[in-house]
Parts: sequence; structure tokens; C-alpha cells
Amino acid sequence: MSTPTGSRLTLCDDMTIYQAQAQKEQLLAALAATPHLELELSGVGEMDTAGLQLLLLLKRESVQQGRQVTISGHSPRVQQILDFCDLVGVFGDPMVIPAKA
Amino acid sequence: MDELTSTFVNESRDQLTAMEDGLLRLEQNPGDTDNLNAIFRAAHTIKGGSGVVESTFIEAFTHRVENVLDKLRNGEIPVSGELSTVMLECCDHIGALLAVLAAGLPQPAAELQARGDALLARLSEQFLDGRQAAGGAPGAELPVEHGSDLEASGGVVVHTDAWHISIRFGTGVLRNGMDPLSFLQYLSSLGEIIAITTLADGMPAAAEMDPECCYLGFEIRFQTRASKAQIEQVFEFVRDDCALRILPPHSKISEYIELINALPEDPMRLGEILIRSGALTTAELEEGLALQTGTHTVTADGAAARPLPIGDILVDQKVVHRELVDAAASRQTVIAEKKAVEARMVRVHADKLDQLIDLVGEMVIAGAGANLLAQRSGQSDLMESTSILLRLVEDIRDSALQLRMVQIGETFNRFNRVIRDSSRELGKSIDLVITGAETELDKSVVEKLGDPLMHLVRNAIDHGIEGAALRAERGKPENGTVQLNAYHDSGSVVIEVSDDGGGLPRDKIRNKAIDKGLLDASATPSDQEITNLIFEAGFSTADQVTNISGRGVGMDVVRRNIQSLRGSIEVASIEGEGSTFTIRLPLTLAIIDGFLTGVGKASYVVPLDSVVECIELADVPGERNYLNLRGEVLPFVRLRELFDIGGEAPARQNVVIVQYAGHKAGLVVDALLGEFQTVIKPLGALFKHLRGIGGSTILGTGDVALIVDVAALVERASARESQRLSQRLPAAIA
Amino acid sequence: MAKTIFLVDDSATILLSVSSILGKAGYTVEKAASAEEALQKFSAGVKVDLLITDLNMPGMNGIELIKKVRSLGPYRFLPILFLTTESQQSRKLEAKAAGASGWIVKPATADDLLNTIKLVIR
Repeated sequence: MSTPTGSRLTLCDDMTIYQAQAQKEQLLAALAATPHLELELSGVGEMDTAGLQLLLLLKRESVQQGRQVTISGHSPRVQQILDFCDLVGVFGDPMVIPAKA
Repeated sequence: MDELTSTFVNESRDQLTAMEDGLLRLEQNPGDTDNLNAIFRAAHTIKGGSGVVESTFIEAFTHRVENVLDKLRNGEIPVSGELSTVMLECCDHIGALLAVLAAGLPQPAAELQARGDALLARLSEQFLDGRQAAGGAPGAELPVEHGSDLEASGGVVVHTDAWHISIRFGTGVLRNGMDPLSFLQYLSSLGEIIAITTLADGMPAAAEMDPECCYLGFEIRFQTRASKAQIEQVFEFVRDDCALRILPPHSKISEYIELINALPEDPMRLGEILIRSGALTTAELEEGLALQTGTHTVTADGAAARPLPIGDILVDQKVVHRELVDAAASRQTVIAEKKAVEARMVRVHADKLDQLIDLVGEMVIAGAGANLLAQRSGQSDLMESTSILLRLVEDIRDSALQLRMVQIGETFNRFNRVIRDSSRELGKSIDLVITGAETELDKSVVEKLGDPLMHLVRNAIDHGIEGAALRAERGKPENGTVQLNAYHDSGSVVIEVSDDGGGLPRDKIRNKAIDKGLLDASATPSDQEITNLIFEAGFSTADQVTNISGRGVGMDVVRRNIQSLRGSIEVASIEGEGSTFTIRLPLTLAIIDGFLTGVGKASYVVPLDSVVECIELADVPGERNYLNLRGEVLPFVRLRELFDIGGEAPARQNVVIVQYAGHKAGLVVDALLGEFQTVIKPLGALFKHLRGIGGSTILGTGDVALIVDVAALVERASARESQRLSQRLPAAIA
Repeated sequence: MAKTIFLVDDSATILLSVSSILGKAGYTVEKAASAEEALQKFSAGVKVDLLITDLNMPGMNGIELIKKVRSLGPYRFLPILFLTTESQQSRKLEAKAAGASGWIVKPATADDLLNTIKLVIR
């Protein structure tokens, strides 16, 4: 489920392998439509490696295409994973709770 | 015994039966791989379960049995009679061990232990030793080296005291239901992840990127007290399709360099990652890279004696080592996965079923009470709803009883083994023919049937089937036949044990009966009556006593056993041609459909299955106790007389005509009160010797009704009838 | 919400012992005594977070079951562990190729079992 509003894409579904195929299309399409995509992920329940990988793909694509992606809202699970994988810096988005040193 | 142990014991007994059946079939059909697998699977299930319940003595023994079966299954040893015999003995031994476990003993008694050891020794001698070496693949002896492979590649050790784990997951892991992140999170439970770098360099361009494939890799600095094996174990499930390198704390710089070289990413980028994560200092990295260059030079010159220590070669060697370990381990324990015979069953404790049946019984009584009240009230709505209720109760009763019904086949199949063993012992060739194996009867009946059947079968083998010479003389086929048959017959289960042997010696039985005072010398009983004398106490005609049917326990015990199940047994025999023992048993011991009758103020229930018809009693003069039923002489019993009930008989009496084992008789009662579901309550010990009454039940009104024992009454009536005939009274027909 | 583990084994002993360990560890346990029964439950949409199956069962074996489950849309990425004895490499490879996530070597201690589950359950 998503509600793209201008340059903002809100994902409310899980981001697991079950959704990966569809979300890949969705994310890339959203990126193609705007120079600055804002991802709102505070409604994401589950997230696994497949979901994380999509975020990494999106980030890489944005750099290659000269666009920008920021994550504006993190659900606890998204935050935990980015934190665990030490990817907070890669996305460079402000988080509610600072990443651990 | 706790629930787990009892489940294990029950399951294992089933598996043993399956194993035995399989072994018996094996001799006839040695090439049947399904059968071989089934035998192995049975042994394997027992072994697996014994590990679960921690019964080491069963596990140890069964393990060796399984080894032999595995060799058999792999064609390393041939099928032979000898093998089957030993294996069958092993089955017996496992059965004995199960009994030890079931009895709650910590270990088998010395004697049993010795028997097991002897069997194991035989197994090793005949089937295991001397073949093992031939079966083992080369390579088992190769030593497994531990970390010595890197000695010469530069002695400088890095300073950090953390592990370095480098992993690139295989693309297929996500599709196999694994989540690499969950592995890493599990890893973090073993220690502390000091630094982690997520690498997505392997991810193809967006168009080709398959989001269901995994392209990620991680470089991890990890501090832990866990061993390398424990760390490796975290990645065990992905090890075959991922690139995993684990460097212990204080690894040599060259190992890190080697790691960098081996990884798919750009070396400079990896070097940065390692420095940033604290694995290496800049100085260490530079030193290492210099060393690497040096080695390269030497190798390029062709001067170095040893192969290039940097790069994939060593890693490859490590991989080889890992495989060696796996191979050695799997060779040591060449054991396949567990299997078991088909068991789409739910196991329920018999007590629970009994409790259910009891409750259903109470419900039947209560239902009957409600129905009675409804009838009396005369309210048609109420009557209608109670009648629906009653019908449902009836269905529930039937289903509940059905739960306890088991097929008799399993009991029959046990005799394959008996026939095989004892015919070998006696040097007779005997085939067992089983029919009606699917016939169902109450589990509690089946359980008590084993001993009597065993006795009959052994008798047939021992005394029934003649020796080969005599059979040839009589023009019979060389192989004797013992047949077990079962079928349903009007509310009873009939079980027949027949053989095509010599039959029962009529004259010998007659003489012996006269000797023993069981028969009057002047009497002229029918052949049938003579042969059935063998069921009298203390009767045995065998000239020879063998260890098969033994001495002492006679047919009278068999009959008593059957009678205690409310059943009967009789034999039909033709000398020289064979005998057939026929056992009749009630379908169930708990609830029956009854036919309620009244005599005076008392109520009697006749099992409905045995009721043929009801007629009004025409005037029968005086004391006569037979009547004419459409030209047939029908003996009858007056219940009023039999049970000594006071009061005058009404003007119109009724006869309930019942049938048992082919004989008909009439029961004279005052009133016919209709069908009635009857929950049998056993009579107390006080009434044990009461003849003609099989139990009691409680009516809906709360009154007690007695259940008549049709078998006993029919016997009584026809005994009097034949007495009359043998007294040569004129066969007057009323 | 408690995670549900679906246990498929034709051995009543294994079903009982494993399910009691899982139950004590707070998992909900679904059981089936054969692959066929398991598939019925799958087609009825049973809620499962992890499947643990025996490999050698009469009728449909565990390998076939794993393949079937991998072809069922809602369960195609379900973590699947299989029960095996000792380290039979060839069976492991076969089961992995069929789509298994990992294995549990019997006999396993309760800790082994629970640790392995923690490793793969989502």
C-alpha cells in the first residue's frame, strides 16, 4: 500500500521478500518521477534482507541518476536494521534516535 | 512411565511388528527395496526414539542392528536365511529391552544383557567386521590439519584481538526461506559486533537486479569468547553457497591480505573497510601489501619451491579440509534419515477412550430417562425433540464404540513369525493363510485374544499338521496350511483357526473321555459332541509333548479365556482332513442394542442382535418345553421358572426367539417392551457364577434390568432338547 | 504474537518430544504426521512461521513436501528446517536443493533445537 504524494512515497506494508518484487517496481518508478524522493517508512512493520537490499538499490540508483533519496520516517524495525548494519551514514537521513557509535 | 516413554514404547512395538513382517517377507522377496527400506526405517525409528527418551541400552543395541540393515540396504551384504534369523532374534531382543524400559528399570538384567551382547557379537562377526574396510572410501585416513597451513606465509601478527568475519551470501538464500540478517542477529548473540560494513557491490544494475535474490555481503569485526566452530555454525546452513572467511584474533597480516585478494570487491576499497573497522592499521596493511608483492616476485621467478601462499590456493585448501572433515564424519556414521511405517493416527490413551465410553453410557441412560418422561407427558413437541436427541445419542454411541474398534489383521500377522519359527523347529513346511484381516473388533477383546489364538495356532502346527512323510502318504500337498479367518456374523465376530492336518482322533478322544469319566461309556454322542470334549478340563491327547504346544495348559483354558469375553468356542474336525476351531465373540463389551422384556415386575434385556422374532406363546400343555415353530422343533426356556420369579404368569405370554451359533431357542416372557439401548454394567463378583445372566443395566426409570446371556440359555435349552432326544423320547410335535 | 512452528514427522515420539520443547519455549505448535496431512493444512491456510519436517516419511517424503511448499504462494519463502540424523551430506544437499533453509541433527538437545530455530525464524 502506498500513497505517493508528489515527491513523497509512503510505504505502509512490510518490506520483506514477499513484497520485494512489487516494491522494487514501485520504488524505482517513484524515483524516476522526481529529483528528490522522500521515503516515509514509519508504517513499515517487518523488514528483512530483501527489504534492506531494495533500499540499497534505490540509494545506488539515485546516486547514478543524480537524484536524491531521503528517508523521512523510520519504523522501529527499519531503524533497527539500518542501525545494525551500520547504514545510517549511507542514507544520511536524520533519525529520531541517534545511531550508536 | 511418563507420556513420552509410553508413546515411544507403543510406537516402537508397532515398528517392531513392521520390522518382523518385513523380515519375513524379505526371505520370499529379497530384491524388494521398498521392503528393505521399510525394515531399515522401522529400526531407525526405534533408534531415533530411544535417543529422545534417553534409553541408552536400547539405542546402543538398535544402532548396531541398524548398521547391519544399512549394509543390507546398500547391497553390501546379501539377504540370507541366516541373516533373517539373527535379525528376528534381534527384534525379540529389542522387544525385551522395551519391556525393561516400560517397567521403569534403569538397565536390563545381566542375563538379558548377555543375550544382547551375544547377538551383537554375532552381528559383528557375521555381517559387520571385515567388510567395513572395504566399504570405506579412501581418504578417511587423511589427517585433518589444524591451522598449520599458514605458518610460512609471514610471521607478523595484527594487533587487534577481534575476529574478522567476511561473508558474501549466495543469491539463493532468500528463496530458501533464509534471512541473512537473522543469521547476523543471531551472531550478535554470541558476542559483540564491533564493526560491520554492508556491501552491496555484487548487486547488478537495477534492470537485472532480482529482488528475490541476495546480493549482499558483510565485513564484520566480532569480539567473542565463542570458538571458531561456534561461529561457523551460525553460517552452517549457508556455508555451501556463500563465501565465508573467518579470521581468528591475532591472525597474520598476510591472512588479511589474502582475504582482500580473495574477495570480489576492489582491494583498495576493502583495505579501507578493514582499516576503518579497526581490523588493520594502515601500517599493517602496507606491510602486508609489500609482503604480497614480494611473494609474487619470487613466484614469478619460478624460484620459490612452495606454491603461492597468497590468494585462493590456501583458501581452496581450507575448503578441502572442511570437506574432509564432513566426509570423515559422515563416513563414521553412515546412517540415513529416519523413516517409519505409515501412521496417520492419533494416539489416545485407552483410559481416555474408556472414560468416553462410560460417559456415553451414562448419556444413553439419561437419554432413555428423558425419552420416557417425554412419552408420559404426551407433549408431541417434547417427544419429537427427545427422539431427535435419542437418535443423536445413538450415533454418538456408535462412533464412540467405533473408536475402540481395531482390525484383527495385526494380531493375525504376528503368527507369521510363530509359524516360521516353529515349523523350522519341527521340520515341517507350513504356510499361513490370512483372510478377513480387516475385520474389526473391540480393542479390549483383541488384546485378550492373543493367548487363546496362540494356543490354537501352536496346536495346529504341532498336533494338526502331519509330518512330510505322512502327508505324502495321505496324498496331501507337501506344505501344510494353517488358516486364520475372521468375519462378522449377526452381532458377533467369528474367528476361525483351521488346518489341513490330521484332524482330531474321534475314537481316541472318546476313549480318553470315558477313562477320565467325562463321558458315560454307554452314551452315543455325535461326532461334534465328541470332538468338543477336548475343551473339558484336563484333556490332552498328544502322544508326544513338544516344546511348542507344551504340556498342561489345555483347551479348557482356551475355552475359559474365550468365555470370559462373553464368547464361545467350538471345533469341527474330520479325521485325516483337518480341523476348524471357531471362536465367536461379541463385537463390543460395553454397549449393545437390547430388547427389553418383562417378567413379573422384573425386566430383562435380550441382546437385539440375537433376536430372530417374537411370537405369542400358544397354549403349551404342562411342563413341556418345546414348541412347533412352522414345523421346526423349538426348545424354550421359561424365564419365570428359570429365575424363580413369583406371581402368576399372565394369560398371554410371549416367546422371544433367539439364535446363537446356529442354534435357536425361545425365551418365554410376560411382556415385550421394545428396543432399548443397553449399557452393560458388569455384575459384581458375588454374581460371577450366575448362569444365564451376562450383566446388568440401568433403565431410564432408574430401575435395574438384567441382561440375559443368550449363549448360556440357548445352550441350556438345546442341551435339554438333545437330552430328550437321546432318551429316545418320541419326537412329539406340538 | 507467539510464533507458530509447524512440525511434520511420522514418528509420534518425535512429534511429542519436539512439540513439548517448543511449547515450553513459548511457540505455538502445529503438527502433522505425514506430508499429505501437512499439505492439507497448508492448503487450508494454516498460520506458520517455520516448518520443521522429517525427510523420510512413508507416502510423500520430506523433500517433496519442501518442494511443494516452495511452490505455494503464501509460503514460498517460509523458513524450512528438516530433521536429519548425523551428517548425511548427500541428503542435506538434496534437501537444500529442494529449498530447505537448514536442518536439525537428531538427536538434538532442547538448546540445539531452539537455537537453530532462532537462527532461521522470521
